[in-house]
Amino acid sequence: MKKYSREWIVAAALGLLLLSLAIAAPHFFQLQPLLSRVTSQMPAMIVALGIAMVIISRQIDISLGAQFSMCAVIAGLVAAQGLPLGVAIAAALGAGALMGALNGLLVAYLGLPSIVVTLATMVTWQEALRLWQQGRLLNLPEGIQWFGMSQAQGQATVIGITFILLIALAWGMKNIGAGRAIYAVGSDAEAARLAGINPKRTTFGVFVTMGLLAAVAAVMNLVQSPQIQPSCGDGLELKAIAAAVVGGIAIRGGRGTLWGVLPGLFLLANVNPALTHFHQPPYWEKAIQGLVIILAVVADGWNQKKQSKG
Amino acid sequence: MTQQTNKLKLSAILARHETVLLLVILLEIFIFQSSGRNFLASSNVSNIFRHSVEIGLLALVMTPVILTGGIDLSVGSMMGLCAVVFGILVKQYEMSPWLAAMLAISLGALGGMGNAFLITKMNLPPLIVTLGTFSLFRGLAEALTKGSEAYSGFPAGFLTIGNGNFLGLPVQLWIFFAVAILMWLLVHQTTWGRSLRAIGYASEGARYAGISVRFNTGMAYVIAGAIAGLAAVILVARLGEARANVGIGYELLAITAVVLGGTSIFGGAGSISGTLLGYIAVAILNNGLSRITAHQIFDQPIASVSRELSGILTGLLLLVALAAGVILKSLALRRARRQSLNVKPTTT
Repeated sequence: MKKYSREWIVAAALGLLLLSLAIAAPHFFQLQPLLSRVTSQMPAMIVALGIAMVIISRQIDISLGAQFSMCAVIAGLVAAQGLPLGVAIAAALGAGALMGALNGLLVAYLGLPSIVVTLATMVTWQEALRLWQQGRLLNLPEGIQWFGMSQAQGQATVIGITFILLIALAWGMKNIGAGRAIYAVGSDAEAARLAGINPKRTTFGVFVTMGLLAAVAAVMNLVQSPQIQPSCGDGLELKAIAAAVVGGIAIRGGRGTLWGVLPGLFLLANVNPALTHFHQPPYWEKAIQGLVIILAVVADGWNQKKQSKG
Repeated sequence: MTQQTNKLKLSAILARHETVLLLVILLEIFIFQSSGRNFLASSNVSNIFRHSVEIGLLALVMTPVILTGGIDLSVGSMMGLCAVVFGILVKQYEMSPWLAAMLAISLGALGGMGNAFLITKMNLPPLIVTLGTFSLFRGLAEALTKGSEAYSGFPAGFLTIGNGNFLGLPVQLWIFFAVAILMWLLVHQTTWGRSLRAIGYASEGARYAGISVRFNTGMAYVIAGAIAGLAAVILVARLGEARANVGIGYELLAITAVVLGGTSIFGGAGSISGTLLGYIAVAILNNGLSRITAHQIFDQPIASVSRELSGILTGLLLLVALAAGVILKSLALRRARRQSLNVKPTTT
């Protein structure tokens, strides 16, 4: 119970926010718009799971937004050629795995700091995409939206896939050797190595997983609208990192559970709707996001200090 | 035998970061000059520096931060916030632009102090702290301008900082020289500079040696914030406009210049002269590409090709510089180990 207190605090804060919305703006909870809002957060949820794993392994990946955009455009272009959705998804997954592997190669096997590596790959992919697409909106063919199903079925599929991923990854991180290796490497890479874990391979694997999850998220985003923008992933990295950090993933690695990402993301995602429902201007979103990241790490640092003292 | 030592010396000179960088810069100049667009005309040379002095300033103050083993991702966003506050002070409160510039620089120092407090007092990782303030400062700038407002119409006297000449050189270049000399003195001629290297090399060891790790590290972030404010003022003077999106992506260019200049991204080693060369390499690359018009690369003219190309190349350049640094180091280590193994049997 004590171990999970952080997740419960965040969940309680989320509950409080939702309760005050229920009193002040009951129309916030009408079923169809609510379902649409939840569905639109699912891609962010998936990349937040990925970045949570990266942070647990004591690395960071700020190129995930650029990877997301790149995968979305590649999948969109393949689909626009008239190829079946399965091929488009495979292309996105391939691209995501490759981009993740490049980050992993540079970080794990060359020992470069992940922040600088992913800063460089972020800009490279972003500008390459801009050069390639010139900001054009990409029209998607019929039958892509909601996987060719009705809207309700499509939304259920997107939410279902996301929660299956959440459950599988959260369970795997605690119960499968590879998942536990991520915690071990994140808390002490040298000790993990002495215990027989290959930290380089683990780190590499985490970055490839991040790339794959960015691709899955891009596909989940793709099916929600008839068009996609090549800049659809801009700023997603901050949102995902904020969700993970707020959800109790320790920024120094090795601690936190993927379950925390769920309340973390929904707390952040409700800031903007709450601002508009309480008739406040929405320009504050980015500032609040930054403030939340800082507050979360400060709280984290405080906890650690208290633990090391007592 | 003598031949061999000569060869070794030559390779030692070649392996020096500054030499490689000079060659890169000469290569860039050669390529852009041979593309036949008056690249080396004096008007263009002063243009190169007029349009990139802000990046140079950020690179100069990023050097001490990286020397401590830290990083400051918030400097670009800090420029946005300082620019907006400067614009508001001058246009809404009708303050003299010089006083407003001082306040903008102070605001930058204050923001840097915030970073420094969280990093040194709260003992939080610089990466995540400055990622948070990266978002916070830009977000505040956007909130203050309601997302789109811009401030323009500054007095002509103030605009000369950005567009005027003094003794044949752009005015902002003189400011840059002053900051460069100051940073060189601080980093290479004071105990502060030396303590930064000690902290970057082994912060615990530095603490045991009696160095105030907190104060010295914190100062690096405060200076970075203040100079980001100065860079914002210069950029506003050049553009004639203050808006929230000023300085986006500048942190990457500054970090690239510093790393290209041979400062170790892990801290502990580096120099201001290397950073200056790194900055020149980045500045020439950006300017040279912007002069290649689109139809030289593609058949149809595309308006904004150069900006994206230079973005891609800056990212790749940073990756190559980082990888080259690590690979060269491990090669040297391996060679040293092999030599010591060879030497052993003869000495015993």
